Amino acid sequence: MRECIVIGKANVGKTLFAINFADYLKVTRLNIEFATPSGESYRRVLSVPLALQELISDQPHHTLGLQRIEIQMPGVKGRKYFALVDTSGLTEGIHGETLIRRAMAQTLAKVRDAHVILHLIDASRSGQVGAIEALGEVDWQVAQFGAMRTGYAILANKMDLKEAQNGLVQIRREFPGHVIFPVSALLKTGFEEVKQFVWRHL
Amino acid sequence: MHYNNLGPMTVDEVLQCLEGGKISPAEAFTLFRNLNKSVEPISVAKEDSQEQLQDVLAELDSLIGLRGVKELVREIQAFVRIQKRRAVEQLATEPLVLHTVFKGNPGTGKTTVARILGRMYRHMEVLPRGHLVEVERADLVGEYIGHTAQKTREQIKKAIGGILFIDEAYSLARGGEKDFGKEAIDALVKAMEDHKDEFVLILAGYTNEMEFFLQSNPGLRSRFPLHIDFPDYNSSELLAIAELMLERRQYRLTEQARRRLVLLIQKGLRMEAYNFGNARTVRNWIELAIRRQAVRLVQKPGDMTRRDLLYIESEDFGEGW
Repeated sequence: MRECIVIGKANVGKTLFAINFADYLKVTRLNIEFATPSGESYRRVLSVPLALQELISDQPHHTLGLQRIEIQMPGVKGRKYFALVDTSGLTEGIHGETLIRRAMAQTLAKVRDAHVILHLIDASRSGQVGAIEALGEVDWQVAQFGAMRTGYAILANKMDLKEAQNGLVQIRREFPGHVIFPVSALLKTGFEEVKQFVWRHL
Repeated sequence: MHYNNLGPMTVDEVLQCLEGGKISPAEAFTLFRNLNKSVEPISVAKEDSQEQLQDVLAELDSLIGLRGVKELVREIQAFVRIQKRRAVEQLATEPLVLHTVFKGNPGTGKTTVARILGRMYRHMEVLPRGHLVEVERADLVGEYIGHTAQKTREQIKKAIGGILFIDEAYSLARGGEKDFGKEAIDALVKAMEDHKDEFVLILAGYTNEMEFFLQSNPGLRSRFPLHIDFPDYNSSELLAIAELMLERRQYRLTEQARRRLVLLIQKGLRMEAYNFGNARTVRNWIELAIRRQAVRLVQKPGDMTRRDLLYIESEDFGEGW
């Protein structure tokens, strides 16, 4: 099955985006396959509200390991089956905890084979003073890696916050030549463009 | 940065270093990028597959007649190549839908061309395996409700990575509404969506029957962008085919035998085209003649010469029609 992977730094809203995007694609019951960094894997079926309640947190690294949601995407003509893979947040520098490092290794192992990479960046932080630090080395390296492939897009998230407008400008300046979609994972804005992008590249 | 000292690494080594806290995620991505760049073994393999592709095309050219078919196969090849190149340049690409309808009488080269297409797609990296799974109605249609979908799915599973070739596909529409053939068509249409890009479906059959079949299944028709017509061979093409078959088996025709064969072919063409199996009938004649020659030589008194073994006489073709 083709895979669309959601990556980015910790706390940029990857899981919220994954759940709400699945909801936007009319998946009511999320059949989620969890693969933890300790090697366990299990499956849970959650409704969207329950998934939001259980899987979202404002603490970084709440998502540890991979969360794979199988989706049937309806299009103008026919439908496509794919897996939306939510991943652990990437850190700047080397993280002290083995489990988190292992979770990041899981993310990277997936990235290489994914058909579509959605790279989330927190636009509300990128606009602040010291934007370069907010964007960081890891985002830049991910974008460089993404530039070598076709199904790569940057999602400038948290556009519902007022600082995000400045951040979007900053992101566009930092990543020229990339496909950039401003979205709000919370309010599900900008999802149609993302859907079309995913559809084209699966 | 210290990871520069680590030397060339494999994917697994990069992941191990990341997990072991030797490199940061950003550094891991940099290493991944370099991994993608050093693809020399792959490019060697590419050249190799280029050569093989040329072999496949040469084999196509060596087929006698079939000019229209060859042109269309070349068109498909060029189209696939350009779409792949455009994808590399990140230009908009057309989806590669290669499901094809083959229309023509039996013995006009449909299976042969299907095999060549399979190999061509493999060398062009459109299909990973490029093998041909040849089926007919009986392999797809079951005996009770639900059986058909299961049988059809099994065949599709076998064909994943290659070509599913359904001979006399129009027979799936035979028997009207209650026939299970319709169930097979539905299962095929579903598989074409579910396993898009994973296999190529070729429907083959007589021209008129296939036309009627596609007209009565508009959903099916729109999914087959490619139609290839296999015209009947004319008498000189059939003779050339016969001579090629003999040459490959190291036999020759005496002048009389050749004349006899020409007469047989002309007689065959004059008769109803339906009964005349084209190249396949010619092959049967050749095989029959080879067996008859053997019987003749065994019964012949005295020594056999090399010439005796080599030549097919006119009497070996028997009475023919």
